Amino acid sequence: MSSRWKLVTAVLMLVLLGGGLAFYKSTKLGVPFWEGQRVDEWLVEARVSFLAVGKPVKARLSLPANGLDESAGQEAGSLGYHYHVDHDRGESTAIWSSEMRENGQALYFRVRFPLGSESGGGPIPPTGSIPVAEAPGLSGSVGEAARNIVARSKAISSDADSLFVTFFRQIENAAPSQEMVLINRAYEKEYHDDAPIKIGIDLLALAGVPARVAYGVKLDDRERETAQGPLPLVEYFDGANWKVRDPLAPTDVLDGSKVFVWHRGGGPLLDVTGGENSRVSFTVVKDRIPLARLTDLQNSPILVSTILGLPASERAVFRYIVLIPLGAFVVVLMRNIVGIPTLGTFMPVLLALALLEMPVGPGLVMFAILVAAGLWCRFLLSRLNLLVVPRVAACVVIVTLLMMYMTVLSHRIGVGIAVEIMLFPMIIIAWTIERMSLIWEEEGKRSAITQVGGSVLVAVLAYSFMCVSQIRYWAFYFPETLLILLAGILIIGRYTGYRISELFRFRSFTED
Amino acid sequence: MSDSVDSAKAKPVYQKWWHRWIRTPKELRAMGVVGINMRNARFLLPNNPRRLYTLVDNKLRTKKLAEEQGLSVPETYGVIRSPYDTRNLESLLSKRSAFVIKPARGSGGKGVLVIDGKEDGYYIKPSGSRFSGDEVRHHVSNILAGLFSLGGQRDVALIEYRVRPARILTDISYQGAPDIRLVMLHGYPVMAMLRAATRESDGRANLHQGALGIGIDIRSGRTVRAVHHGKPVTHHPDTGLELIGIQMPDWDRILEIAVTCQEMTGLGYLGVDLMVDQEIGPLMIEVNARPGLAIQMANGVGLLRRLEPVEKRHTLHPGEDLEQKIEFSKRTFGRD
Repeated sequence: MSSRWKLVTAVLMLVLLGGGLAFYKSTKLGVPFWEGQRVDEWLVEARVSFLAVGKPVKARLSLPANGLDESAGQEAGSLGYHYHVDHDRGESTAIWSSEMRENGQALYFRVRFPLGSESGGGPIPPTGSIPVAEAPGLSGSVGEAARNIVARSKAISSDADSLFVTFFRQIENAAPSQEMVLINRAYEKEYHDDAPIKIGIDLLALAGVPARVAYGVKLDDRERETAQGPLPLVEYFDGANWKVRDPLAPTDVLDGSKVFVWHRGGGPLLDVTGGENSRVSFTVVKDRIPLARLTDLQNSPILVSTILGLPASERAVFRYIVLIPLGAFVVVLMRNIVGIPTLGTFMPVLLALALLEMPVGPGLVMFAILVAAGLWCRFLLSRLNLLVVPRVAACVVIVTLLMMYMTVLSHRIGVGIAVEIMLFPMIIIAWTIERMSLIWEEEGKRSAITQVGGSVLVAVLAYSFMCVSQIRYWAFYFPETLLILLAGILIIGRYTGYRISELFRFRSFTED
Repeated sequence: MSDSVDSAKAKPVYQKWWHRWIRTPKELRAMGVVGINMRNARFLLPNNPRRLYTLVDNKLRTKKLAEEQGLSVPETYGVIRSPYDTRNLESLLSKRSAFVIKPARGSGGKGVLVIDGKEDGYYIKPSGSRFSGDEVRHHVSNILAGLFSLGGQRDVALIEYRVRPARILTDISYQGAPDIRLVMLHGYPVMAMLRAATRESDGRANLHQGALGIGIDIRSGRTVRAVHHGKPVTHHPDTGLELIGIQMPDWDRILEIAVTCQEMTGLGYLGVDLMVDQEIGPLMIEVNARPGLAIQMANGVGLLRRLEPVEKRHTLHPGEDLEQKIEFSKRTFGRD
């Protein structure tokens, strides 16, 4: 039984290869396995609003630069403004400008990025020279208190990271030290809500660690209706790289699923000239990525990318080609397991492909009319005692004329569908007529009608199988699953049991 | 109620309600019925190498082989190989009053034209209908164009002797000549049947067109059972003649011809079609590399019941000669 083992091995290999590739594609490359189940992405919309005062307006909004390339999807919405994006040493700024404006103005900028991207707060090397901390001009008792805190903290923590943690722990401490209370009181007068951040930055500077404000957006879908203000973060220099951390959670590296760093680099987040009361707010929405935008596959290895590696226009050709194996599978199933007689082996597949292009009901009616009419003409022709090839050719001509006439007729009546019937492959019809008339003469009309009926039945089954959108989806986006189909065909190829039709055929079988 | 349950127990093969429509796979397997998938996968594919098919798919080659082996075949009057040859058709046929025109690559009796005689310049078919010379020529050109051949390839037309079947056989056939089909595995005759035409089958011997299938006992050559459309019958539906217990003439010669056909073609699993001429005796008509399954209905025996013992015999005693094979088959498959 060595051939049996060969079969088992081949089937196993095909299933593993096909299944493995599909698994790799769906888990690693993020192609959703089920149709309609698409990859989520975050849609962050920045809304810049200000009150124009009747002068030329220029608004500059700093944009997230890190981890977002152009293809990740950015769009700006602003009616009547001249808009461009300015790139400068790794920092991008959206610039809107316009002539005189008055009253409230709103500008939008949208950024999309897939779920689970980096937060954008990771370490980046400084541009230009190594930054040096500028000591804040603190004097008097506040300065004294600050220096005390720094000295104490430096005694227990050596590097920038631990200093950052120590300072913000003390700032956010529910029971602050007397020095911290003093500093806090002084800063709150000047900076209000931003006071803790300012204190932290100044303390870091005093300890020799350069630090500045960065802004982020909280990625929280639950607040989709309400706009949020920019989330203040602290960016500090650890001697080699700039890092962004949340002062409220000083020990943690920023979590990309919770916070997205919109702006870093120390410059202003928003700068509006010609307007007052300018502010920026963010709206965060979890959105779906349309599959067509999943461009990753284009650059994947050839085995993985397959059809998706082609330009969109060339992909369309494969829309039907990948369906042919499905039809072939149905034919194998129907012939070898069920035992439906068909006219020729793969004629039903071609018929099913033709049906895909037109409404099924009218398509089948049209097919029946064409075959019946063609058959009648064929019998008329048979009286002329023509040779075979000229007779088939005559059949083709007659079918062509019939098609044209029926199309014109139904157009007159006002049934538009007939035009699509033109797509019925003519050769299939002519050939069906020829074969059917032969069987009609040789084996009787019952045999002929059974076989044509069987072919149409199998074609309709194959058609309905090809029509299941999930199956089309797999065939198109996971062509490697066709290997599993191939394994199935191999198994059917070794099926030695009874066909269902044989259960009927041998129903009156009795042993003596 | 309890009565019927008891009687069902008493008879193991009691008719179940579903037997009107189907037999379950389990029941069929229990009776050793071979399905098409099993025939192909278990008997055709391993035993019939593809290259040997050409020997039997072309009747010209089969006949030539058979003549070399000294088997009697219907005499070939002529072969029409090209449309040009059809011009000579008339002169070729002028000497003959009865003949058969058939495609060399036809199968299942497709394209076989039987002419029994001539009358007023017309050819007469067995059914009595007339056929003009033009129509005969047209039929030949259809054969040449490959209308009846496997896969539609170009073909040649054979004109050969019209077999006059032995009287005993014509009696049980409504028009048309009955033929005998033997199925063999590794050269062991496995099952035999006689195919007889009915009014419904229009002179043809195809069972699914309504011809009778009559099972023949391998040992005695006597008919044992008959089916019409798969259902057992005892009398001919048209002539009313008894179908059971008829002795085939020259049965031993028929078995020898069949076994020789296997030896000369080398096919492991094959069907041999023969006719018995009233003067010449058994004639080999054709060899079929894909014999159908209706023969088990005609005999009321599942093919597997006979193929399995032959497989076993063939592995245990390879290389048996003709007599030994026939002897084994008669002993093992004969009925009392």
